[in-house]
Amino acid sequence: MIAFAPDWADPVARYVIETGLRNTLKLSAIALVGSSVIGITLGTLLTVHFLPTRALIRLYIEIWRGLPILVTIFIVYFALPAVSPRLRFDAITAGAIALILWGSAQVAEATRGAVQSIPREQHEAASALGFGWLGRHAFVIMPQALRRLLPPLVGLLVNIIQNTTIVQVIGAPEILETAERQVERLTFEGQEHAIEIYGAIMVVFFVISFPLTRLAAYLERRLT
Amino acid sequence: MSTLLLASGFLDDVWSFVRDNADELAAGLRKTLQVSLIAILGASIVGITLGAARAYRLPVVSQIAAVYVEVIRNTPILVQIFMLFFALPQIGIRLDAFTVAWLAVTIWGGAFNTENFRAGFEAVPERYREAGAALGFTRLATFVNITLPIGGRIALPSSINTYISIVKNTSLMYVIAYPEITTVIFQIQALTLQTAEAFTVLALTYLIIVWSMSAGIRLLEAHLALPEGRA
Repeated sequence: MIAFAPDWADPVARYVIETGLRNTLKLSAIALVGSSVIGITLGTLLTVHFLPTRALIRLYIEIWRGLPILVTIFIVYFALPAVSPRLRFDAITAGAIALILWGSAQVAEATRGAVQSIPREQHEAASALGFGWLGRHAFVIMPQALRRLLPPLVGLLVNIIQNTTIVQVIGAPEILETAERQVERLTFEGQEHAIEIYGAIMVVFFVISFPLTRLAAYLERRLT
Repeated sequence: MSTLLLASGFLDDVWSFVRDNADELAAGLRKTLQVSLIAILGASIVGITLGAARAYRLPVVSQIAAVYVEVIRNTPILVQIFMLFFALPQIGIRLDAFTVAWLAVTIWGGAFNTENFRAGFEAVPERYREAGAALGFTRLATFVNITLPIGGRIALPSSINTYISIVKNTSLMYVIAYPEITTVIFQIQALTLQTAEAFTVLALTYLIIVWSMSAGIRLLEAHLALPEGRA
């Protein structure tokens, strides 16, 4: 598979890429979409001046932003099934739920700021054209707010991709877990290649993340 | 009514979980706070030093700092922890769990803080530095007396966010079995099977720490606000 690579590397790379990287990308995509949809909805609702919903959404944001993702993963994977057997999820699903809880809280906070940055006249003009609250936000406010939301969303994607590795602690076969399994298999066979394998994992993440952090910085600059 | 009874019963269970395991919990919390404190101090020193090197474009040091920042920011901290704890022994470097615990979050926090302080120092208006030079200050004296106090305050909100993340990231030391609060509570619930109680206590512990820190920021921000706003 990889030219010039030593014999041990080929099966490792095959497993880590075909199983690990694939799950990491899948998990990242699900977490990004879920966080964006829930976060943008909650963030928009947070701008509505109705105290009970605002208090509840605020609590949601502060809890899931305040907890380490590892703790959220433990709560979803171990504590929820203890509360009700129906809330039992496999490791990848539990990881996706935990990442969405955390990610949506981040997006909600960013959305609130983006929606509130749209001048009041835009709301008034849309109302004058006969748009209701939903139409006003969906067709007039959100398209403008999205421009402001784009840099933080790209930044969030980088964080999501990196944080998918934390799902390793519950054994979900994402890239770090598959790498660890290969390291252990080789160690068992009397070969030590932890530095090469974990080093390669760092390179993979760097190659994915670096262009995205550059893109986020560029989008941020273009905005101001 | 019955849900209310259920809830109060659960609160009792949570409370007895804390009482029954008070010593272990206190020891775990102490380790979490200890590692966090070392890393916050370490990340401040790294951030101020390398942030200044970046802002002043010190040859060589500035470039090395830039590479360090990009590598750390663009790779997952969990992989960095694996590297330090599980991979380094391969080349004969064996670090114990405590060393990896504080070192990993210091390296991680230091990279983010380098950016925080670089941005802070660069935001200090040129005329302030010129004023320092006009008063006969050396470059170092200008930095210590003018750029550091003003730029440091500008960097304060973002650096405190980094410190909060440092505290949260100490939970990842669970993977190397360092007995900080997450590891301790995980082990207790594995023995007692009080899963819901255990993770409720764990979540509340972090929320209390993180929420107090963010409340602290707001107080500190108001207290340290620059007289002429953001200069």
